Amino acid sequence: MPTRRQDDRIELVYGALDMLILRTLRWGPTHGHGIAKSIERMSEDALKVDHGSLYPALQRLLQEGWIKGEWGLSENKQRARYYSLTPAGKRKLVAETSRWQRFVRAITGVLAPAESEEGE
Amino acid sequence: MSWRRELSKIRALFGGNQPAGDLDEEIRAHLKMEEQENLEAGMTREEARYAAKRKFGNVTIAQERSREMWRLSWADRVFQDLRFGFRQLRRSPGFTVVAVLTLALGIGATTATFSVVNAVLLHPLPYKDPARLVQLLETEVSPGAFPLSGADYLDWQEQNRTLEASSLFSWGQNMSASGAAEPEPAAVVDVQANFFDALGVQPFEGRAFARGEDYAGRNHVAVLSYGFWQRYFGGAAGTLGKTVVLNNEPYTVVGIMPRWFNWSGTTDIWKPFDMSPKELGARGNHSWNAVARVKAGVTVEQARADLLAISQRLEKQFPKSNNKVHAVVLPLNDTMTHNSRTPLIILFCAVTMVLLVACVNVANLQLARASTRHREMAVRSSLGAGRLRLVQQMITESILLAFAGAALGMLAAWWCVRLLESVKSLPIPRVNPIQVDGAVLLFAVAVALLSGILFGLAPALQNSESSLNEEIKAGAQSVLSAASGRRALRDALVVAEICITLALLVGAGLLLRSFVYLRNQDIGINPHNLLTASISLPEAKYSTLAARRQFFDQLLDRARHTPGVDAAALSSEIPLRGGSNGTINVDGVTDPAVTSQLVGWNYITPDYFRTFGIQLLEGRNITPDDLDRAAVAGQKDYDLYKAARAQNTEVKIPPDVSWVAVISQAAARTFWRNQSAVGKSFRMGDEKVTVIGVVGDVKEYGVREQPMPLAYFPNTQVLPYDGYARLTVKSQTPPMSILGPIRSHVRDLDRGLALFRPLTMEEVIADDTQDVGVQAILLGSFATLALVLAAVGLYGVMSYLVTQRTREIGIRMALGAQQANVLSLIMRQGTRLTLIGIVLGVAAAFALAHSMSGILYGVNSNDPLTFASVAVLLSVVALTAYYIPARRATKVDPLLALRYE
Repeated sequence: MPTRRQDDRIELVYGALDMLILRTLRWGPTHGHGIAKSIERMSEDALKVDHGSLYPALQRLLQEGWIKGEWGLSENKQRARYYSLTPAGKRKLVAETSRWQRFVRAITGVLAPAESEEGE
Repeated sequence: MSWRRELSKIRALFGGNQPAGDLDEEIRAHLKMEEQENLEAGMTREEARYAAKRKFGNVTIAQERSREMWRLSWADRVFQDLRFGFRQLRRSPGFTVVAVLTLALGIGATTATFSVVNAVLLHPLPYKDPARLVQLLETEVSPGAFPLSGADYLDWQEQNRTLEASSLFSWGQNMSASGAAEPEPAAVVDVQANFFDALGVQPFEGRAFARGEDYAGRNHVAVLSYGFWQRYFGGAAGTLGKTVVLNNEPYTVVGIMPRWFNWSGTTDIWKPFDMSPKELGARGNHSWNAVARVKAGVTVEQARADLLAISQRLEKQFPKSNNKVHAVVLPLNDTMTHNSRTPLIILFCAVTMVLLVACVNVANLQLARASTRHREMAVRSSLGAGRLRLVQQMITESILLAFAGAALGMLAAWWCVRLLESVKSLPIPRVNPIQVDGAVLLFAVAVALLSGILFGLAPALQNSESSLNEEIKAGAQSVLSAASGRRALRDALVVAEICITLALLVGAGLLLRSFVYLRNQDIGINPHNLLTASISLPEAKYSTLAARRQFFDQLLDRARHTPGVDAAALSSEIPLRGGSNGTINVDGVTDPAVTSQLVGWNYITPDYFRTFGIQLLEGRNITPDDLDRAAVAGQKDYDLYKAARAQNTEVKIPPDVSWVAVISQAAARTFWRNQSAVGKSFRMGDEKVTVIGVVGDVKEYGVREQPMPLAYFPNTQVLPYDGYARLTVKSQTPPMSILGPIRSHVRDLDRGLALFRPLTMEEVIADDTQDVGVQAILLGSFATLALVLAAVGLYGVMSYLVTQRTREIGIRMALGAQQANVLSLIMRQGTRLTLIGIVLGVAAAFALAHSMSGILYGVNSNDPLTFASVAVLLSVVALTAYYIPARRATKVDPLLALRYE
C-alpha cells in the first residue's frame, strides 16, 4: 500500500467522476485539460482529482456513447482532442443528476437523526 | 459488463476510431497546457513542468488504464485458451487423432442422418403455403383409403365450400415417348389443367396448362420434367413448341418444370386429362387421385366435414355405387411422408446413440489423460487459476477437438449425402432434395458444441477438483488412493457404453430378423428365373381387338420359342405390384363382411399359372377356347358400354353375355366356405361370371399383406378396352439373359415400340422388401459402429487401469499371487461393469424395440433369441476387450513393477 499524503480533499465516489465530466461538457466541447480545470473550479478545489484519472473515465464514456471526441486546435495552437456531449449523454446526465440528488437526500436523512440520537 | 461498451470495443478493433492510439499525444498536450498555465502563473520552466506532472499523477498508469479500457478481456481469454489447447493437443498426437476420428464418425453419421430428416420431416413441402394442401381420397370401409371416383370428384368440386382449388391427377403410366430420339419409356401423369396452380409452382420455362386445356381437342399439350428435358431433348434451348410423341399421339411441349420439382417419385411428363364426365368413368370406378388447397382460414378438419357431408349425400343418391363410399381428406405433408416418419425417427435416435458412445469414448480418453495432467492442473491452480478458469480451459480444448471432429465428419456426411442423392431407388420421399444446407451445417455446429461440452465437462470438473495439497500428499501417486470420484465416473461411462451398444444391437437384430422373415415369405409363386416387362400398344396404330390380339399372339409365340425359355404368359398384373380390384356379388350371400370384400382382377393367358408356378387346386385352367369366347363377349360388352356412353344411358347387359374365371383359394374360401367353388357363379357389376377353377393364393399387394381374394379372367376380355399387357417368361438361364432376345422380338414386330421396366421377379420381391432391408443395413451399421467404438473404449479403459495398477500387481505377485489370481482380479472388475451394463441395456433395448414394433415383421419386439444372442455377443466382445490388457498385467515382472514410477 502506498502511504497516503496528508490531504483533506474528498476522494471521489465511484461513478461520480463520470457525472462531473458530463456536467462539465454541458457548457460546450472542451479537451481533457479543460475538463480537469473546470472540475477544479467548480468544486473550488475541494475534490481530489488526479488529472491522469480523467483519461480512463473518458474512454469509458466514449464507449458508452455518451460523449464523442474530435481533434481540434486549442487557443494556443495546441493540437488536442475536444470532447462533447452526445444526445444520449445529455439524457444520461439528467437521469444521473436526479439520481444523485435522491442519493444525497437519502444519506443526509439517515445521518441527521443519527447525530441527534448520539446527542440523547 | 455493458454490451454497448463491448460493442464499441469490437467496432474499434475493426478500424473504427481508435482513441487509444492517440492517447499519448493527447496526454502530452494536456501536460503542455498545464505547464503553460503554470508558466503564466510565474513559475520557472522546470517548476512548471514538475507541477504539471504532479497534478497529473503517474502518466504511465493513466495511459495503461485508459488503454485497458479498450481491451476485450473475454476474447483475450478465449484466444489464450485456444492457443494453449492447440499446444496441448499437438503434444499428444495419438490421443488427438483417436479422439478426432471417433468424433468424426459420430458427428458425420449424425449429420448425414439429420440431412435426410431435415429434407423429409422438417422441411415444409416446397409448394406455396403447403399447410393448406390436402390429398383427397375415398374409403369404402375404414380404415384404408381408395382412389377417387371421377364422377364423385366432379360433384365434390362443384359443391364444396371449403376448397380454394382442387386438381385431379392420375397415377404414373408408362408410355413410349418418341419424336426427338429413339423411342424411350416415359412416366406420364395426367392432370387437371389447374394442377400446377393448385400446388403453387411455376414452370422453369414456358407455361403451365391453361384453363380449358383439359378437354378433348385441346389437351395435346405437355409439360416436361427437368430430368426428362435433359435426358430426351438434351436440355436444348428450343424445346418449347417442339412435339413429343406419346404412344403414337403428338403433344406440344408448352413448359418445363424446375429441376427441384418432384412429384410422386419420378414423373417425366404431365399432360392434361379430358375432364368430360364420360372420360373420367362411371361413378363406381375408382381410378384417380386429387390434391386440393383449402381456403385461407379454413382448417383441414372443416374441409373434411364439408366433403364428408357431400359424399354422404351422394351415398343416398347413388346407393348402388356409393354404398359406404366416404370422402377422405389428409394433409398432403402426411401422405407424402407418413411411411418414412417412424423409421427415420428411429434411425435418428439410433445415430444419436452412436454419437453418445463416441462422446463417452472421448470422455474416457480424457479421463485417462487427466491423470497425467493432474499435476499440471495442480500447479496452475496454485499459481492462481480459479477452478472456473481451469474448467473453461479444458472445455475449450474439448470443443476444439469436437470441431476438428465435426469438420472431418462434415466431409463424410457430405459424401454420404451425395451417395444418397445418386441412389434414386432408395425408399425415401424425395419432394425436397437431400442436401447439406444451412440447417444441416448449423446442426453440425450445434452437435459439435454440445458434444464438446458433453464429453469435456465431466472430466474437466473431475480434473479441476484436485488441489495442490492433495497432490503433494499423494506424492508418488499411490495406487491405493486413486481418486474414487474419477473411478466412479469412469465406471459409469463404461456401463453407459455397454448399455447403449446393447440397445442398438437389439434394434438392428430385430430389423434383420424382420428382413429375413420377409424375404422368406411364401408369396405363392416360384420367383426363380422369371423376367417380366410391360408393353403398351399405341391406340392409333392398334385400335381394334383383332389388331391387339394378333400382336400379342405373335409376341407370345416368339417369346415361348426363344431358346432357354420354358414358359411365357401375358397378364394385366403381376404378384406384389398391386392392381385393379373391386367388390363382387354372389347370389344368396348377404353377409356384409363378405359382400364388401375386395377382389383383385387379373387378365391372363392360359400359361400364366405354369409360368409363375401357381398350383391348380380344383377344376380346370383357362383354355384357348375360353380366350376366343372371352374375345367375343368382351367386344360385345365394350360396344354396349360405348353406345350407352354416347347416348348417356345406363348399360343393359343381355343375359347371354357370360364370363368364366379361375379364382384363388382365398376367394373360394370367402364366398363358398365349406363347399366347392367350381361351377358356382358371381356377379361383377352386371356381368355373370362362372368359376371354372381354383388356384393357390398369391400375394398380389405385397409381401407383408395377407393374400387377397383374386379372380383371373381370359386376357382377351380387356383387349377391346386397351392394348396393355405384362409379358413374363420363365427361363432356364439367369432371366436377364433373355431380355435381349425379347427386346428384338418386340422390335421385329414393331420398330416404334418400347419394352417398359424389365424386371426379374427377384427384383420385384427385393423392391417390395427394400425399405426393411435398407433400415436393417443402416441400423446394423450404426450398431456395428457403436460396437467397435465401445470395444475400443473398453479396451482403452482397461489398459489404462492395468497400467495404473502395475505396482499393486507387482506387489501381489512378489507376495506370491499366481497369474490366475491376478487375471481374475482384473477381470472381476470388468465383468461386474459388463453385467450392470447389460442389465441396463436390456431395459433400454425393450424401450427401443417397443417403439419399433410398427416396422417389424414376423418377429416379436421382445424376441428372446435376439436379446439373448446380442447379450452374449456383447459380453464376449467386452470380456475380450478386458482380457487382452488383463493378460498383459500377468506378464508383469514384479521387480520392474516395484521400480515403476
